[in-house]
Amino acid sequence: MSDGAADEQVVMAVDDTRCIGGGQCELLAPDVFEVDDDTGIAAVTAPGLLDRVTALELLDRCPSGAISFAQPAP
Amino acid sequence: MSTGAGNGAALAPRSPDVTSSSVYADGVPYDRFAEMRATPGLVWHPYGEDGFWAVTRHEEIRLVSRQPEIYSSAVGHTNLWDLEADALEARRSLIDTDAPDHTRLRRLVARAFTPKNIRRWEHTVRSITGQLLDEFIDAGEGDWVESVAAPLPIRVILTLLGVPVEDSAYLVELSNHLVEGTTDRPTLAADAYGNTTDPRLLPFNSPASHALFTYGEQLGDQRRAEPQDDLVTMLVQAADDGDRLRPEEYRNLFHILVFAGNETTRTAITHGVMALADHPEQWQRVLDDRSLVEPAVEEILRWSTPVLHMRRTTTGPTELAGTAIEGGQKVVMWYASGNRDEAVFDDPTAFDVGRVDNPHQAFGGGGPHLCLGAFLARLELIVLLQEMADRGLRLRRTGDAVRVPSNFVNGVLSVPMAVVA
Ligand code: HEM
Ligand code: SF4
Repeated sequence: MSDGAADEQVVMAVDDTRCIGGGQCELLAPDVFEVDDDTGIAAVTAPGLLDRVTALELLDRCPSGAISFAQPAP
Repeated sequence: MSTGAGNGAALAPRSPDVTSSSVYADGVPYDRFAEMRATPGLVWHPYGEDGFWAVTRHEEIRLVSRQPEIYSSAVGHTNLWDLEADALEARRSLIDTDAPDHTRLRRLVARAFTPKNIRRWEHTVRSITGQLLDEFIDAGEGDWVESVAAPLPIRVILTLLGVPVEDSAYLVELSNHLVEGTTDRPTLAADAYGNTTDPRLLPFNSPASHALFTYGEQLGDQRRAEPQDDLVTMLVQAADDGDRLRPEEYRNLFHILVFAGNETTRTAITHGVMALADHPEQWQRVLDDRSLVEPAVEEILRWSTPVLHMRRTTTGPTELAGTAIEGGQKVVMWYASGNRDEAVFDDPTAFDVGRVDNPHQAFGGGGPHLCLGAFLARLELIVLLQEMADRGLRLRRTGDAVRVPSNFVNGVLSVPMAVVA
């Protein structure tokens, strides 16, 4: 993992069975995540691209462990 | 088990006993926690007939918080003492629930507490805060807890819930009785407020909980008839929407929302302002540079750690910090200790409003139970410091703080303060 360049883009995913809808992701990356007002679950708004540094910080901040790397960006 | 000052691991309690409520009347036993952090592995701490594993380092508090499958909130209780099964069931709320029930309940309220939605309340928080500060400045001195720290959070949460202003005095009274219920001091008579439920089955063993339930139900009925843009309306709509929220879940949620943010935020506001009065050079830095308000708030949260610990119970055998833990054992995370962990914080005993890297655990160590109200509490503290700075308000202590004798909350009952002319 440490060999990835800091500006490398990664694609993120949210596990909707774990998400508790607290919105830490929306706060840190508003262009990528949005908590749905009706379901209280975060969704990745297309295309879910994020730089690796922010992505790693988010993995740490998401309290429920709902966020993961979907796939490395092409 | 040996009692001498021997090989470290599994030796406790040395003095003072960190579970003794009276110890906290003189302050958090930080030195004892430092000893436990320095002890390899986990420390087994006797408690009642049994005991618990004391988790005192930042790293392991994080690990326990983030593995709810192993460290359960639903088994036993999330406080040190166990509840009997019927009491636990009757009181069950967000805090003592595991997934999937926890996820369902938490999502119902989470939307209202996202940073984005909390920001909508800034104006309301600002006007409540400004009014309380102006009253304090006019008086020139007084008990900071009674004048500002206590009324501020309760007025804010009641506004969010949609409780009419004219009822807030009654709810403040109930909330104060619940705070009493967390200490060793005697509380209300069992039949107070027309209570007929066995107090054992009520949160904090308090008849005030019965009164709060009744109030919540009545307000819920009103909102069902006439929906408003408030939290109670949101909850009753969820309750009416099939099986999303059962009636007893509604009243437990209403109860926790009224209570959870009060004593805690009050404590942060009190310790924070005491720290700023005791370290006037730190407050001067904030006055000179408003960009320090937010880091100052995080430092106040670290410094005050309003909730001293939370407990989990293992669902099976596991291992932590090289220590083997059996299934069904209590594991207690001491946030007050994690927030002074020298492995994470530079100079942890210094109060530094400019602290840059500050991953404090005042709201818990992460994981699904991370404080629901974290952004609301932050907003209240940020607005408070901004409004104090706008008024050029400097405070000094004119007497000693009277602390709550509790091993669970780092509370302050009263502290006299005066405006520095
Ligand atoms: C400075 C103020 C506050 C502090 C220090 C604080 C601290 C905490 C802590 C330590 C937890 C347990 C975390 C865990 O078990 O992992 C918690 C949970 C909780 N807090 Fe706060 N809190 C504060 C303010 C608030 C406010 C304003 C509310 C308003 C509604 C609130 C509502 C809750 C609720 C509902 C829970 C249970 C969450 C769950 O189990 O899912 N708190 N808080
Ligand atoms: S941070 Fe995690 S739990 Fe919170 S809303 Fe985003 S995905 Fe859900």
